[in-house]
Amino acid sequence: MHRSIHQTSAGFEDHEGFFSRILTKLYSLWVVATYPFAGKGRNLSLHYASEISRSLAPYFRLGNRVAIGKHTWFLSWSKLDIEGDREVKIVIEDDCRIGPRCTISAGNFIHFERDVVLESDVLVMDHSHAYEDVNTPISLQGTTPGGIIRIGEGCRIGRRAAILCSNKGEVVLGANCIVASGAVVTRSFPANSLLAGNPARAAQKSSPEGLRSISSGVSQLTPQISR
Amino acid sequence: MAENCSEQERRPIDYTSQMTMEDPLWWLSRIANKLRTVWLARTYPFVSFGKRTWTRYSLHVTRSGARYISIGEGVGFSRDVVLDVCAGPDTHSPVLILEDGCGLQRRVVISARNRIHIMRNAIFGPSVLMIDHGGDVEGRADSAVCGPQAGGGTIRIEEECWIGFGATIVCKHGDLVIGRHSVVGANSVVTRSIPPYSVVSGDPARIVKQYDFSKGKWVLGCIRPLATAERKLPVVAASLLAES
Repeated sequence: MHRSIHQTSAGFEDHEGFFSRILTKLYSLWVVATYPFAGKGRNLSLHYASEISRSLAPYFRLGNRVAIGKHTWFLSWSKLDIEGDREVKIVIEDDCRIGPRCTISAGNFIHFERDVVLESDVLVMDHSHAYEDVNTPISLQGTTPGGIIRIGEGCRIGRRAAILCSNKGEVVLGANCIVASGAVVTRSFPANSLLAGNPARAAQKSSPEGLRSISSGVSQLTPQISR
Repeated sequence: MAENCSEQERRPIDYTSQMTMEDPLWWLSRIANKLRTVWLARTYPFVSFGKRTWTRYSLHVTRSGARYISIGEGVGFSRDVVLDVCAGPDTHSPVLILEDGCGLQRRVVISARNRIHIMRNAIFGPSVLMIDHGGDVEGRADSAVCGPQAGGGTIRIEEECWIGFGATIVCKHGDLVIGRHSVVGANSVVTRSIPPYSVVSGDPARIVKQYDFSKGKWVLGCIRPLATAERKLPVVAASLLAES
């Protein structure tokens, strides 16, 4: 399934695609060579319009063959008041693919295990704005402490889904979960669940083989995820 | 998104780490943003364009629509924001008003035909859609029609609101008001007015939590209900009545 995605997106059929591929390659080389990541694998593909700040790179660990799409925005709040605070906050393991326009905002810890696929417009955020003080604008109230998000091996997150953990605690998706597009996940789910809705509920529980066939169907619908 | 954390400690947002432009490649986009901001402020016929307002080069706004846009001071636009504004030839008041200190995150789309008023310090998460008009029941697409002929209503987002990621705010009839200091949860769809100091989420949006002033804290459930769907006369019909 992964190979099929790479093959369809690796076509040289269009000159525009060719230039963006060159830019993406150059940008990936630049980032890998100059950014002080906590760990980085080989064959990274970071789209030239994706945003990883250099000062936040020490909080990232990227695995092999990770692909990151256009306009995907990583951010993390560094605790500048703690000297030498270098704990890793975002871990992306091997063969993860993060689609275009995703927002990944780590205050504490976000972990993508192997083969996780995020389609476009996904939000993964382990904290949120505090709004409880009614006399202060929400934009000035800072963030909630938040929790930890862990997305299991082989999960697929559909378009425009949101995975949120605004309170203390953990949001853990087990292996091979599928999150439907537009779902809002705010609590943990076991492996092989199919999640949909706002807030998300487990729509069905299926064997890993059945879900894998669904997910390969999804991958055919969105072949250009890594571009 | 809508859970309580009043008793837990809060962290101030640390913007200094975002402000550092340590990668030289970033200067390219920074210069492009600056040029675009200056160009917009100088040459576009905005009703007003406040100081310290910072746009990105990918802001989508048309010169003809800018005549109906009023932007206050210190408004922040993130990249790929779309301000789709047009109005009829008789319109003299601004159609889209962004007051001081608003923040629009990435890919916010605001499509205004009648009036969208965003008051001070309201903040928008990524991918929010706000639209104050819509196709009629026959499915005729009228988004190309400008001004009051387009039907639809008006939207007002009051002070200090927070519209979460991917929320959709649609007003096809009458006035939609999101009350002061309200929170709209991720991916919710708002089609009715929301009372002040509420947290709503879901599709359609329901009240999850409201601030109880007598107790002085946020309580689960609904104290002040959602406004019943009030249908006003369409704007055209109302103006005809006023003429006769």
